[in-house]
Amino acid sequence: MTEVINEMPPVENAGEGQKELNPFFKALRTFCGWFGFGIFGATSNKRRRKVFYDVITYIILVFFAFIMIYPFWWMIAASFARNRASMLDTVWWPSELATENRGGTFFYHYTNIMRIMENNNFDYWRVVLNTLIYSIVPVVIGLITSTMAAFAFAKLNFKGKNFVFFYCLAAIMVPGPSIMIAQFCVYSELNWTMNGLSMIIPGCFGAIMTAFFIRQFLFSMPTSIIEAAKIDGAGYWRIFWGFVMPLAMPAVMAQGILSFIGCWNNYLGPLIFVRSSEWYPLALVVSQLNTEIGTNVDSAPSVMALAVLALLPVLVLFAVFQKTIIGSIMLTGSKE
Amino acid sequence: MEEQTAVQENTGSRQAETAFEPPKKRRINRSVLAENLWGWFFVCFLVIGTTAFIYFALVLSVWMSFTNYSNSSGTTLWEALKHINPNGWGYWYKFMFSPEYTADGTALSGTGINERFWTTLLNAVIYMIGIPIGMALSLFLAVLLSRDIKGAGAFRVIYYIPTVASVVSIAVLWNNLFGNEGVIVELFGTRFLGGSAFMQKVTVVIMTTWKGLGGSVLLLCAGLNGVNASYHEAAQIDGANAWRIFWRITMPQLWPTIFYCIVTSVIGGMQIFSEPQLLYGSYLVGDASVDVTPFVGMIYGYYGQGNYALSSALGVVLAVIIFLLTLVQFALDKRRDA
Repeated sequence: MTEVINEMPPVENAGEGQKELNPFFKALRTFCGWFGFGIFGATSNKRRRKVFYDVITYIILVFFAFIMIYPFWWMIAASFARNRASMLDTVWWPSELATENRGGTFFYHYTNIMRIMENNNFDYWRVVLNTLIYSIVPVVIGLITSTMAAFAFAKLNFKGKNFVFFYCLAAIMVPGPSIMIAQFCVYSELNWTMNGLSMIIPGCFGAIMTAFFIRQFLFSMPTSIIEAAKIDGAGYWRIFWGFVMPLAMPAVMAQGILSFIGCWNNYLGPLIFVRSSEWYPLALVVSQLNTEIGTNVDSAPSVMALAVLALLPVLVLFAVFQKTIIGSIMLTGSKE
Repeated sequence: MEEQTAVQENTGSRQAETAFEPPKKRRINRSVLAENLWGWFFVCFLVIGTTAFIYFALVLSVWMSFTNYSNSSGTTLWEALKHINPNGWGYWYKFMFSPEYTADGTALSGTGINERFWTTLLNAVIYMIGIPIGMALSLFLAVLLSRDIKGAGAFRVIYYIPTVASVVSIAVLWNNLFGNEGVIVELFGTRFLGGSAFMQKVTVVIMTTWKGLGGSVLLLCAGLNGVNASYHEAAQIDGANAWRIFWRITMPQLWPTIFYCIVTSVIGGMQIFSEPQLLYGSYLVGDASVDVTPFVGMIYGYYGQGNYALSSALGVVLAVIIFLLTLVQFALDKRRDA
């Protein structure tokens, strides 16, 4: 039915319609005409219609962007609130600021949380250092080992390459929670759970997904460069370190930033594998303080301040490298 | 230098082979040998890591589930592995599927956790209702972003911010926003985190959907960029409207991306743990009420109680469930193609 109506010539339609149209439909026709829709025989305007759709698109996109951004704004605003009550009442900006506290400055809760952490036997800078160790050492060493494997998978021919490739690929299927208990038992036998090694050593052997991503990138690199280097007498290590590593830098950097963010935010790993509070990373301290003092009248905004402190480095890193990160994720999507 | 001469020697000897009778001893091609050795050297770290930290742990997990190892065993892990569970090797698997209560509802102590097992599994499935909602939303947003409008890149970045944000910080925020006195609760007039078990689950679903939206929007945007535009033009000339073009031309080409998103989010959804644990805290211990506990919450709950053998057994069951779910999804996808 709809097809038949669409195929009807517009001129005939207009001639019939104009006789019977009552003022309401005439007004409707004019109204729709402004937005480029030709109904009841009026001519449609493609340019106006595109503007109309664009405006609706922008309204929806901005609405969702607001939903995505607002919680972060709320978080930052809440960390400047005077106490729990004024924090929870915050919609855009707290009604009572921390400056109204006795001896309070604008950043009162940011200094207060350091005091609270000290009382709980945590040193803020030590905790940050732990987090940095957990998210830099395994990521850097792991990137080198992953790129080595990626280079071998993409550009070298050796016996059993396909077998090794699928052997590693199949490991992705093993869900983390299924093996974490066994991993914990081994790490605690090795005494890695008391000194943070459980968060460092496993990452140093490279990540499978990282290796596969870099391998995809290396496929697009011409093999002739490697051949030329070989003829000029470069050894395999030289080829890897001097040619492959620099050329694959865009992919390596993207994966590195993503893994850094992942390690910084990692909560489940240290929750299971780190048994000594001296070696706690930021995520664990935030969650522990939140359960302990997160609902206290005075310290609730301080916990919020610590949550902001845990969030900020990642947000800054994302803001700086957003092009690389988004690009690499989009690339993963288009590979499917 | 070495390899170069090796190659020359090699070609020389091959010519010699064709010209004269074949030599009795097969010469090892030195450049091929070098490439083999270096290839193995380059992959060895990843292979050792995968073997030690994934496959070995998996085997150990299965093995541990047959023992009675716990933190009160008083022996080392290696010692405990030598002794199979005195109640029979499959004791913990039987334990999982034995009833917890008698017919009249009185608790049987130490016989099983059947009810808990199925409740937590159902909870994990309920937490996954965010997946279809999130997929539909992100598809909608990705289609809007694929119109040639200015600032699409900025929107993509904004939508991805929650994904990179620390889950712990977000949980602290959610606790305050959705807590009993929070802004959202006063806005909607219903209790979320302080409300019924269902509303508590809804809070988690809102959080995971909000946090995961950016990733699937990006993947779908990439997928939409890859959709062949010439089909669209052809269809437009043939008089198809936008709605029809979307369902008949864009969707079939986008399906692999959507399917990939669904499979990965189902695998991730079965493993949900951090979000509910951070929002409810102490609810997740194995013996307490399991109204909102996801399946993985039980694994870590028994781990927290020190019953490593039972939590390993539950982990093995989880791996099997996820494997079967993935198989089912691929089977459904195959049927769709045929």
